[in-house]
Amino acid sequence: MKRKEATSSLPDVGISQVLGLVSHLSSVGGKEDIYRLAGELSMELGETLKVIRAAETLKLVNTPGGEVEMEPFGAKVVDASIHERKELIFEQLQQIPLFKKIREFLDEEDGHEASKEMVLEKIADILPNEDAEHQFGAIVSWGRYAELFGYNDDSETFYLDQ
Amino acid sequence: MTPQPEIIIDVENVSKKFLLPQGEVTILEDIQLQAQEGEFIVIVGPSGAGKSTLLRMMNGLVIPSAGRILFRGKPTRGINMETAMVFQNFGLLPWLTVLQNVELGLENRVKELDRRRERAQKYIGKVGLDGYEEAYPRELSGGMKQRVGLARALAVEPTLLLMDEPFSSLDVLSSINLRNELLDIWSDRDNVVNTVVLVTHIIEEAVELADRIVILGSRPGRIAGNIRVNIPRPRQKRDPLFLEYVDEVFSLLA
Ligand SMILES: Nc1ncnc2c1ncn2[C@@H]1O[C@H](COP(=O)(O)OP(=O)(O)OP(=O)(O)O)[C@@H](O)[C@H]1O
Ligand SMILES: [Mg+2]
Repeated sequence: MKRKEATSSLPDVGISQVLGLVSHLSSVGGKEDIYRLAGELSMELGETLKVIRAAETLKLVNTPGGEVEMEPFGAKVVDASIHERKELIFEQLQQIPLFKKIREFLDEEDGHEASKEMVLEKIADILPNEDAEHQFGAIVSWGRYAELFGYNDDSETFYLDQ
Repeated sequence: MTPQPEIIIDVENVSKKFLLPQGEVTILEDIQLQAQEGEFIVIVGPSGAGKSTLLRMMNGLVIPSAGRILFRGKPTRGINMETAMVFQNFGLLPWLTVLQNVELGLENRVKELDRRRERAQKYIGKVGLDGYEEAYPRELSGGMKQRVGLARALAVEPTLLLMDEPFSSLDVLSSINLRNELLDIWSDRDNVVNTVVLVTHIIEEAVELADRIVILGSRPGRIAGNIRVNIPRPRQKRDPLFLEYVDEVFSLLA
């Protein structure tokens, strides 16, 4: 599984799944064949790859030839407390271009907030080949987890959580 | 001399019968079970063995047909306000936000709104849900929903936390993550909750979590074994000792 760089989208998978993947990997020695991993977890290969790709985007794991391998950052996240883990992910999200761009966009807006519609347009602009709604979902859930972004679904307002 | 840990809950020779169309059926027979302060007990048994019924008797929702349940040495009567329950299907109200769902469990316990909010916030933080306060359950993954369920139960600051298959509606990776976080929270000694009784039908889950595993056979549900798990944490699933315990529980269940 080779990918060139990280300007790409973020797979819309649960944070708990990604964290579960790194814990599992750690409990089996930090390295595993991807097919074997899917097998022992009774997961579909496609789903497994999606979670691995999300973990890879966050630099928690690496995927050299058919294997998934823990990165030092992943090991740090596994060992961290619930609270520290959120801070580590917060730092990491700041390095991901999509999050960086959304953040810069909010920085310019009044009150550091924007409507969902505006954010969707911004996403479509940054990633023209991706499903913007999907990306929005991923940004909201990772953003909330890391306390980087907030979102109010009643008013459909997206904002900088600070 | 170190003092003996207090016995938090003592299930003494408890049986439960239900009246079914075909007549009276004994679901649980002569159950004896104790949880000491600080203990993590896992009850494992097949579907229909009476695990949920046993937990409901521990919190006073169901009354034993015979025997009695003592809480800190005293016979219990009615709903036990010193327990809190986490459910398989989260038990969240969809029209309330995360914060409101957590506060809901406190309505009968903390009078002032400010203190209720403060308490809810504290436990939302403990389970790692800061940032989700105004989210609705529909916006959350299963793993996040169950963190809300856990925060709501912890916010009550119960002496005894009861968990009824709390991970079984989650996907496999999320359940791995939540089991780890639950152990983190439980082993944090500042925390108010340190005594847990959790029910599962998954043997590996029992061996991973428990200080002691209580095995419930079925029809009628009787205690088929009581095993202390002497493996330091964190436990590794491929450790031969881990696998020995899995085999032992399996053979007692079969
Ligand atoms: N209120 C009730 N009235 C009649 N029968 C009941 C009642 N509650 C439970 N039962 C029966 O008692 C038995 C044990 O139920 P219980 O839900 O406690 O089992 P369980 O071990 O939790 O099962 P599962 O693994 O499926 O959750 C079942 O046969 C169930 O139908
Ligand atoms: Mg049950």
